[in-house]
Order: sequence, then structure tokens, then C-alpha cells
Amino acid sequence: MSDPVHVALALDILAPFASVAVVGLLMLIGNRRPSEETAVRLVTAGLLVSVLAGVAVLGAYWGVAGAAVEGDIEFGDWLRIGDFVIPAVLRVDGISVTISLFASVLTALIARFSRTYLHKEPGFVRFFVLLGLFATGTQLVALAGALELFFAGWEIIGISSAFFIGFFHERAEPVRSSIRAFATYRFSDAGLLIATVATLEFLGSARFSTFERAGALEPFQATVLALLFLVSAMGKSAQLPFSGWLPRAMEGPTPSSALFYGAVSIHAGLFLLLRVWPVLEVSPAARAIGVVVGLSTAVYAALVVRVHTDAKGALAHATLAQVGLILAEICMGWTTLALTHLVCHALLRLGQYLKAPNMIHDTHRLGHGPHGPSRLERWSPKLADRVYAASLHRLRLDDRIDVAFSPVLAVARTLERGDRWLRRTLSLDGASS
Amino acid sequence: MTPMAPMLSAPWEALVVCLLLLVAPAVASQRRSPPWLLAGLIVSVVVALFASSGTVAYVGISAGAVLHALAARPWSRTGAAMLASATAIALATAGAIHLGQMPMAFGLSCLALALRAGVLPFHAGVASLCERMPLVQTQQLSSTIALVFVHLRHVDHHVVAIEWAPVLVRYGAFAALAAALITLVQKDLRGFYRGTTAMHGGMLFAAVGAASIGNFAAALLVAVAMGLALGGLGIMITSLEERTGPAAFGGPGGRGGPFPRLAASFALFGGAGVGLPGTAGFVADDLLLHALWMESPASTVVMILSSAFLAVATLMAFSSVFLGRTSPSLAPDLYPRERVVAVALVSLLLVLGFAPGVLLGPADAFLSAPQ
Repeated sequence: MSDPVHVALALDILAPFASVAVVGLLMLIGNRRPSEETAVRLVTAGLLVSVLAGVAVLGAYWGVAGAAVEGDIEFGDWLRIGDFVIPAVLRVDGISVTISLFASVLTALIARFSRTYLHKEPGFVRFFVLLGLFATGTQLVALAGALELFFAGWEIIGISSAFFIGFFHERAEPVRSSIRAFATYRFSDAGLLIATVATLEFLGSARFSTFERAGALEPFQATVLALLFLVSAMGKSAQLPFSGWLPRAMEGPTPSSALFYGAVSIHAGLFLLLRVWPVLEVSPAARAIGVVVGLSTAVYAALVVRVHTDAKGALAHATLAQVGLILAEICMGWTTLALTHLVCHALLRLGQYLKAPNMIHDTHRLGHGPHGPSRLERWSPKLADRVYAASLHRLRLDDRIDVAFSPVLAVARTLERGDRWLRRTLSLDGASS
Repeated sequence: MTPMAPMLSAPWEALVVCLLLLVAPAVASQRRSPPWLLAGLIVSVVVALFASSGTVAYVGISAGAVLHALAARPWSRTGAAMLASATAIALATAGAIHLGQMPMAFGLSCLALALRAGVLPFHAGVASLCERMPLVQTQQLSSTIALVFVHLRHVDHHVVAIEWAPVLVRYGAFAALAAALITLVQKDLRGFYRGTTAMHGGMLFAAVGAASIGNFAAALLVAVAMGLALGGLGIMITSLEERTGPAAFGGPGGRGGPFPRLAASFALFGGAGVGLPGTAGFVADDLLLHALWMESPASTVVMILSSAFLAVATLMAFSSVFLGRTSPSLAPDLYPRERVVAVALVSLLLVLGFAPGVLLGPADAFLSAPQ
């Protein structure tokens, strides 16, 4: 641990977490809630340390002060019981260093922006706590050397995302949207969790470095693993049929929307696929499905964005279209292009989201150009009407998912009735609920 | 004279968790248990954990169950009856071990576990405790951890345990799924607590099944994480209801405004119960899933789905109770005594989340060795 690279990597992840822990502890044991200033100073300090640590890791990766550092960096075992080991291992390579520094810089920028933007907003301290938590999650995801650590970061991102969506909880809609987004995350995360356990069984270790042996997997095993990773990525990156939660996620404050759904979180699924690329590479079926899903999402989002009437919702679908294209690029094997596309796209969207509140002003200033009938409207007005209606209702995706989920709720209600009957029958306490 | 194992080999860590759960409700609540009851419960847990003879350990467990039954009696006769039955079953287990009837001892011990952990459909007693007196349920969880420990140590090494492992794993997984689904459609906070407890009971049962094939540490950590998370939840629910009365899920309740510390503590305990990263719940879930996969991949998938349903139910419960337009209240947020308990339980959850080896290393070495 005394090695500077170890220290930098540890600080990269733990500094934001420590700042959140201190704010949380002050809140829990102090007599007064921490002030805005205290929360900002602590969390920003954690984020800045994370950025500096990220720069140091980049320097080490480039070999600025000595031999270049690359590969698995061991921190011992998180848990060891007999032969079963959960390693505390981080990975330094081109992808991890890029995404780690990129995410920490953007998070620090958002913290600076939000300090003014959310000043005096109820929930200001909560926002900064969640931001620090999110930074911890992204750094874990970016630098994890094994699936267990990756999953921990992945979950932290999901939880902080849900709480950001429900940030303005005085209204009912953001709360409902946060539950829907969280449910989508949790069920698609099941894919990653099953894949983590299965990887350990199939490859003997859940380290990313062992994926280089993915060629030795049986075709069936490789396809199952790749599909599980794909499902998880689809949920996190809001690909069809899980796209419904993204426009709802715009209920959150603009800075968090910019960071999560413009820049970092929405691309986390794609990052996962880049990380497990050796498994995808040996599974043509999963890659074909990924291409179809990505392109379908791009078409769907491009149609919806044309009829969307609110700025952040339109931006969400524009983001979705590009994310769909990046997914298709990854699944076609163009991973370097995909990584470049991902970073450039994230930067563009971050700026656009942050400027979204000014959009009405800009539109008035710049004015609208004349809008004639589209080619489709000229070629087939009836089809154009249908496409318009379908886009306006976003293909009724949420309704369809609700319908698909309704049998589960019906089973739950039946079980609940049975449970109530059983407890009443066995109760010695008189009336019971 | 109770036969005691050498002190160094005994799992002191398990004792610390059990003691914390026994003492926490007494510290947090104004309704104090009589000192003799608390002292008796502590002695019974110590005897159960440290006795090297299975017979004595189960007698310790049954003594604890009698005391819990006495504590539960004024609030919940169903809970008291369940605990009395568990007492009789634990005594019968002690007798079976004494006579060398290990298959019978294993079956009886599993039945005692199902009753004490509230596994569906043996959950009426625990459900009644959750509904009527969560603090007694919190204390009851401490000796459930002791029971798991005693089960793993004294009856789980027998061949019958290995033969029955597939049944227990599958049964536990499906019981957890059913309980998670039931939790999803609850309409009040007590119902949520009841369902969550039953889901964890199923999880614990599956973990005990998987322990039979060598995963002792997973089962112990599941029990400990369950105890700390559900114990914390029980205390927070009691604290909330002492301030605002029963909490129904009729829409956003807005209690987060007047009680931010209570809301944060509830979120942490609820999160730990569904595998929040950084807490013992995360490591317990991970370890359990790996253990289950060795026995039944389908049960692993069922367990993952159960956890997902419970996570959604937890967020829904949190949203209904704490989010929404702030409802003004003159009642104070958590008192210092309640904060001390919350910080202690959260700290232990975090320590076991970041360094699970502290508990699991010694406990696994201890439990894996045939007794």
C-alpha cells in the first residue's frame, strides 16, 4: 500500500466516499444538520482529491516518473474463505484510466456548477452527499479489476441515480419515476449478478484479466454470459425495451441529469461491454442481438425526439439515439471508435443538459426556421400520422412493461391473501391485519 | 458445570453481534426490559455459543427462547406461543443429540430455525412479533443468530445435512421469493417489516442448506447481516411510530423533513437488508449466491429475483413513509440514545462490509472443523 500507485488508486475511490461518510456522520451524531458550506467543502475536497489521484494514475500509466504501470493492481483479498476469494483488485489500462479521470473531472465540474445552481434549495446537502456517493460508484466501476468490485460500484450508481430522480420528492411524479428507474436497474442488474457468479464457475475467477481466456469457454457458456452482460448494459443504458425510465429520470435536478443521463451513468452499460469485450467477441449471437437492440433504440429515439415537447426529454432521447449507435459499434467490434464516440458524446451532452434551462431563451433569441412537411409526410401522410402518434406515445413502452409485469403483481396479491388467511387462522391475538 | 470450548477458538465476533442486538432495544427504547430478563438472555446466548456440547448449546437456546416468550407474552400471544414451541423443539433437539439421533436432531433444529427466522409458512409467530412489538423481535433475532451458529456447529456436519441440502436450498429460495412478492404489495410499514423478515428467513434457510456442503461462513454472515439490518429496521420503525403512530402507505408521508436522521438510518438499514454495497448485506448476498450456485443455479436466480423484488419494496416503503411534502411535527428527531444505537449497528454493518474476514475467517475455521 505504500507504493504511490496504490495510494493514488485508493484515494481515487475512497476520497469521495470518506467525504460522504464524514457528512453523514456529522448529520447522524451532530446536533445540527451540516450547513451548505460544510457539505460543499467536504464533498468538493473529496472530489478534488479523486481528480488529483486520477491524474497521478494517468501519469503512472504513461510512465511519466518511471516504468509504465499497467494491469491488475492488487490490494489483497476483500474476503478469503478456503478456496473462495473475492479479490480487492483494481485494473489500470487505457479504458479504465480514461473513464476514471473523465468521470472524476466531470463530477467535480458538476459539483462546482451545482454549488451556485442549487444554492438555498431544500435538499442541497443531500445533493452533495449523493454526488459524493455517485463519484465513489463511478470510480469503482471504472477501476474495478474484478466483477464483484465492479458490481458494488454499479449498484452505488443505481442507488444514487434513483435518489437523484426523486430529489424533488414534494411532488409525486419524481418519486414514482425514481421507483420505476430503480426497479429497471435492479432487474437488469440481476443479469450482471448472475453473470458474476457464473463467470467464477466457468472461468475460475471473476477478474477482468481472466476474460482473456474467454476463448476457452463452451459456445453455450460464452453466449449465456454475453447475453447476461448485454441485458445488464441495456438496463443501465436505457436500451429497448428498458428505455421508458430515461425520460422520467429528467425529473431530477438539471446538474444531476447532465452528469447521469448526459455524461456518465447512461454510458456505464457501454463501459461494461467494453470491459467484458473478450466474452462478447466469442459470442456472435449476443453481438448480433446487441447490434439489433442498439440500432432499434437509435431509430426509436430519433423518432421520439422529433415530437418531444420538453427540452430535457428531447435531450434524453437524443442521448439515447447516440448511446444506441455506440452499442451497435461495440457489438460490431469497433471498440476504439466506440470509446472515442462515448467520450465525445458525453462531453457534448453534458454541456447541452447544463444549458437546457436556457433553451427557451435561446429559442426566442434565435427564432424558428420555417418547418415544411417532411419526406414521409409527402410520401405517405397516413403512415406519417401513425409514426407521429406512436412516437408521441413512445411506443407505449411503459404500458407494455406494466402489462408484462401485471401477472407478477397478481401472484403477489394472491400470495398476500393466502398469507393473511394463514396468519389469521393461526393467530392467538384476536383481530390481525 | 457447562463444558466450555477453549476461549480462543470461540467466535467472539458472533457474541458481539448477539450482545449488541440484545442490548440495542433496551438502550434505544423507553420501554426497558427487566434487568433479570436481559441478564438471562445474555447468559443463554453465551452458553449457546461457547458450549462445546451440542446438548448444552441447545439447552441454552431453549432457555433463551423461554425468556423471549416471557418478553413477548404481553404483546403477542402468537409470538409467545411460537417461542414456546421453539423452546420445546430446541429441548427435543438437545435430547436427540444426547441420544445420538442426528437425523432427528437435524430435522428438529431446522424446524426451530424455520420458526425463529420466520420462514414461510412457519412465520405466523415472527409475523405477529414484527407487527405488535418489533423490539422483542430485534432481541429475538440475536438468539436466532446464536441458533444458526449452534446448528452449523453441532448438527450440520452430519451426512443427513448433506442429503437434505438440495431441499433446504430450493425451499429457502422459493420461500424468499414468495415473501418478497408479499412484501411488494404491503400497505403499511409493519406489513413491510413482516414481509422483509420472512424474505430474510427464506434466505437464511437457503444459506443453512448451502452450509451443509461446506459454506458455513456464508450462512453465518447471512444470519449476522440479517440480524443487524432487521434489528436496526425494527428499532427505527418503533422510534418512528412512537413519534407519529402507525405508518400506512397511503401516498408520500413526508416524514423525512421532521426526522432526517431517522430517515437516513432507515434507508441504511433497509439498504443493508437488500445488499447495499459497503455493508455486510452486500458481502452476505454475494457469498450466499456463490454458495447456492454450487447446489442449484436455478435457486440462485430465484434468490437474485427475490432480492430485486425486496429492494423495490424497500424503496417504495421508504418513499411512502419519508418522502413527499413535509408533514410538520413537534416530535424530535432521533434522541441521542437512539442515535448511539443506530451508529453502533451501522458501524458494525460497515465494518463487516469492508472487512468481512474479521468475522468470517475465525468463524469459518471454527465451524468447518467437525465438532
